Amino acid sequence: MRPFLITFGKELLIFLRSVMLVLVVLYSFTVDVYVAGQGVEMKPRNVTVGYVDKTGGGISQKILSRLHMPEFKPPKAFLSQKALSEAIFNKEIRVGLVFDRDFAVDYRKGRPAQLDVLLDATVASQSLITLIYLKNIVLDFTDLAMPLQIKTHKLFNQNADTHQFMALSELLSVITLLVVILAAVVFVKEKEDGTWDIMLLMPVSPKVTILAKSLSQVFIVMIGTVIAVGWVLMGAFDVPINGSFWAFVLLTFFYSFSSAGIGLFVAAVSKDVMQVAQLSIIIMMPLIFLSGAWTPIYAMHPILQKLSLLSPLRYYIEGTQSIFFRGTDFVDLWPYFGGVIVLGALLYLYGFRKIGRLF
Amino acid sequence: MKTRTVRAFALKEFVDLYRSRMIVMVYLLPVMILVLFGYGIRMEVTHARVMIIDNDHSKFSKELVAKFEHSKYYNPSVVQIPEKEALRSIKQAKTDALIIIPSSFEKRLLHGQKSEIGVFVDGSFPTRATTIEGYIQGTILDAASEVSARMGMKPKGMITLNQRTLFNQAMRDEDAVVPGLIGLILLVAPAILSALLIVKEKEKGTIFNFYASPLSKAEFLAAKLIPVFALHSLNIFLLFLLAVYLFDVPFRGSFMLYWLSSELYILISLSIGLLVSVITRRQVVAVVLTVIITVIPGFLYSGILMPISSMQGESYIEAHLFPVMYYNHILYDTFLIGQGLASEKIVLYLGILVVFFLFYFAAGTLWLKKEMR
Repeated sequence: MRPFLITFGKELLIFLRSVMLVLVVLYSFTVDVYVAGQGVEMKPRNVTVGYVDKTGGGISQKILSRLHMPEFKPPKAFLSQKALSEAIFNKEIRVGLVFDRDFAVDYRKGRPAQLDVLLDATVASQSLITLIYLKNIVLDFTDLAMPLQIKTHKLFNQNADTHQFMALSELLSVITLLVVILAAVVFVKEKEDGTWDIMLLMPVSPKVTILAKSLSQVFIVMIGTVIAVGWVLMGAFDVPINGSFWAFVLLTFFYSFSSAGIGLFVAAVSKDVMQVAQLSIIIMMPLIFLSGAWTPIYAMHPILQKLSLLSPLRYYIEGTQSIFFRGTDFVDLWPYFGGVIVLGALLYLYGFRKIGRLF
Repeated sequence: MKTRTVRAFALKEFVDLYRSRMIVMVYLLPVMILVLFGYGIRMEVTHARVMIIDNDHSKFSKELVAKFEHSKYYNPSVVQIPEKEALRSIKQAKTDALIIIPSSFEKRLLHGQKSEIGVFVDGSFPTRATTIEGYIQGTILDAASEVSARMGMKPKGMITLNQRTLFNQAMRDEDAVVPGLIGLILLVAPAILSALLIVKEKEKGTIFNFYASPLSKAEFLAAKLIPVFALHSLNIFLLFLLAVYLFDVPFRGSFMLYWLSSELYILISLSIGLLVSVITRRQVVAVVLTVIITVIPGFLYSGILMPISSMQGESYIEAHLFPVMYYNHILYDTFLIGQGLASEKIVLYLGILVVFFLFYFAAGTLWLKKEMR
């Protein structure tokens, strides 16, 4: 136990001595998460609307009055459809509405009226949501002749607040990236500095060295995680924690083993930090891609769906979202814990043996 | 500037990159990012797992269920379980949305009484939740207007939207994402490489060769940066080919504009790497720092996920402080719109990019010391 603690402490000390590294790690856990959360808003906001109105008011003005802040900027009137398209081409206007004369006539006579919408679709996601907004507004004007009502609730996140979601996602990426890189660099640094042989000469069993070195980096990241959750997620974004905080810490702990395992593997095959950087990115990218962070897993190709079972990040992301937002019971979290533990054990063991061969 | 010396040094860097197999990474990495994310980022929601609890079992309710079954947007399952258990299934992330049709739904509607369909959407992925919610409302109202039209209850004031989406007619995610990804890759990759090339020498101590050599600062920089610039210039074409042929993104602008502005952008990225290498002494720090200061703005302030005009307050200002937004405006124009230099905004943005380059490069060069610290 003593050799373990000494090596562990030595690595922490080396970490703390590199002021720049400490600052960078702190930055990633605080400012970086904050910026990511603050920056992204996928709901329409400040959408510029232009319109051409040939109906002489009435229903068109009623529809326009429904487009209000903060989603839409006050609609701007254009004299002709040509002027409107030009403004859209210059990206001054994102949504153009054209109310022609037929529209008013059809609407008054109770026939289906057609409203022309011009949409700048370069940002597909927002355009899609803007279109849904418009559809709902227009549907409100339709008298269904049927007393049907739809009552929707968004569970766990009523306002569909993207800030919280993005901040949490960013934190998970930071955890993943830092564990891999830090764990790999602890070893590669020795290779590069030529202290590898001195490390071999230490009267400490290689297993203890590897364990202590990698766990010290996991420890650093765990502390960063707690800071980020307490300070940024809860402090700045009021992220709810509907589940248990300790479940999250435990999940992160097990998950970091799979990342550390990848780090060990990377350390075993690369000669310098440059290779570490590129290799870890090349390995992490597919794992992130398969995790369902970008595309929901059930919408992937069936083969990819099977492959995604191999990405530890998949279990981690889904598990964390369940803990924070869905407030899933501890019992129902077992698939995530199972996946993270099994893959973590496999990956860590593999990396452990891979680097162990160099001792 | 002694061209021979510079050439010799640049050649050494090439050989170095080649020997360390880095040259593979220089091309493999950008291609991988483009392919994975190009296929990976999907904003459109299809196959949403919808659970329907039908408490009515009438003609109306069955018709409504059928509407869901015949849409590619949903993967519906009709179940008979208590609400509580259905909510648990959402908590287990097995279901995205729950629709509850109340009992005597048909009867009440036919008698003109109010009847309420309950919809519960899992909000833990906010954008997806909003989209699914919109789809479900649309589908239900669609079904309702169909039924009422058939029964002779003429709906009044029906308005249909005739949408024409410009620049990206089919609203393909690829068209919206891939050009932005090029802007991200060309910002990140050259910066990391150039930062590492300099910091590596610092960390290994071989920088003393440079301190002691008669090589001037400008020559040193030229020898370090020219290889990176040349290698990544090839990426401009590589990424273009992938975007146009693999992802079928249309290209409507001028290729010259795309090429030249991309070269300029690579120069900016190099200068960022140079700046990072000035302030760091260890390669780890250099890598992490470069990744952090380039990836986040490259993603968030690029217009991939949200347009800059929708940002507010600090992030709106921050977005203007990074070169990404200006370059991406030009990129999206060359790919999807095709106005080219005819648009004043693009000329202005090109000018701004030149200023960015001059500023970063000058700062990096000034701070780089040719002496021991």
